[in-house]
Amino acid sequence: MNDMNDMSDLNDLNGGSFADEGIGDEEFGDGPDAGFDDSLLDDLRLAAGILDPVPAELRQLAVEAYALHDLDARLAELTFDSLVDAIPVRGATDSPRMLTFHTGDVTVDVEVTAQGLMGQVLPPQPAGIEVLSGPRTGASLTADDMGRFTSDVAPAGPFALRLRAGGEVVVTEWLRA
Amino acid sequence: MTAGTVHSTAYDDLPYTRGGTVDRAEVGALVQSAVDGDAAAWKALVEGLSPLVWSVVRAHRLSDADAHEVYQTVWFRFAQHLGRIREPEKAGSWLASTARHECLKVLKSLRRLMPTDDPQVLDRISEDRTPEQSFLDSEEAAAETERIRRVWQEFEELGDRCRQLLRVLMASPPPSYQEVSGALGIAVGSIGPLRQRCLRRLRARLDARGAL
Repeated sequence: MNDMNDMSDLNDLNGGSFADEGIGDEEFGDGPDAGFDDSLLDDLRLAAGILDPVPAELRQLAVEAYALHDLDARLAELTFDSLVDAIPVRGATDSPRMLTFHTGDVTVDVEVTAQGLMGQVLPPQPAGIEVLSGPRTGASLTADDMGRFTSDVAPAGPFALRLRAGGEVVVTEWLRA
Repeated sequence: MTAGTVHSTAYDDLPYTRGGTVDRAEVGALVQSAVDGDAAAWKALVEGLSPLVWSVVRAHRLSDADAHEVYQTVWFRFAQHLGRIREPEKAGSWLASTARHECLKVLKSLRRLMPTDDPQVLDRISEDRTPEQSFLDSEEAAAETERIRRVWQEFEELGDRCRQLLRVLMASPPPSYQEVSGALGIAVGSIGPLRQRCLRRLRARLDARGAL
């Protein structure tokens, strides 16, 4: 099976929902009309190509994303995301997004709010930080001696942090803010 | 892109596909070439797998803005993980399941807010015309256009789960069941039977409307 991503939940909610909808109980008979199925799916494929194609500008961004391929940097993986891993506080609708990235001995804590972004590099150390928002742009920040950094611009859409600290480069996994 | 070709041949000129389906060994080779610095290989991966990623995002009914951001996030992360993917020939499954996870995160963040708007895809006009769109420009295509619109309309009115499954299955080139499994979090073995029933359900709707 596929071990590149979290595939352990193959039979999770979605499978259950299919059953809930009663699809499995329906009696159409299993006739030998697979050919018809294929032609109907071909029609749908044609319809999708006409009515809901990949937007051209998005395809272009994906092509340009090749520039983000960077084997010199160490990849800091997302190990905590409050959106998924935290228990929500009742009534708190605008709590900040807390993120933790980790690689080897470097940890990066990030907090994203509507006002901007703040975080800390651990162990504490000065670092140059670039806030990436795509293959084309990046804004620069500096982490102080305690490893702390702030930006008063909240990331809109996908972002990643590229840190230069102690002679090495660390990039956080791309994430949608 | 080739203009004026019908759906069954529209993608044949892409090196990525063989006989209309995704060639797994080819994907693995393209990923390896891209790792080694071949930008054309990366572009071929984007051409071949973009429709799958877009289908997964669309299947989750995100708003246009969210759909665009998830699509970008998935491709940026794929570029970032390129040299670290353990089974390059399964890059399609990697992309599909990464897209699913990002979609579920978006839905989770929206849960306490309001439901997303249904994408009004029938009103959307793309600037670059796909091969299918170019086909519809031809003179003999007016009736075909109407038929295809009806099929799409009935598809959009299917129950959530059938609509979700079919939206992924209709990606071009057609996804493998492994990729569909990654895209929707359902077991490979259950996809065939569900596919059959969902298509029959759609056919029943079309028959009822006398649309075919």
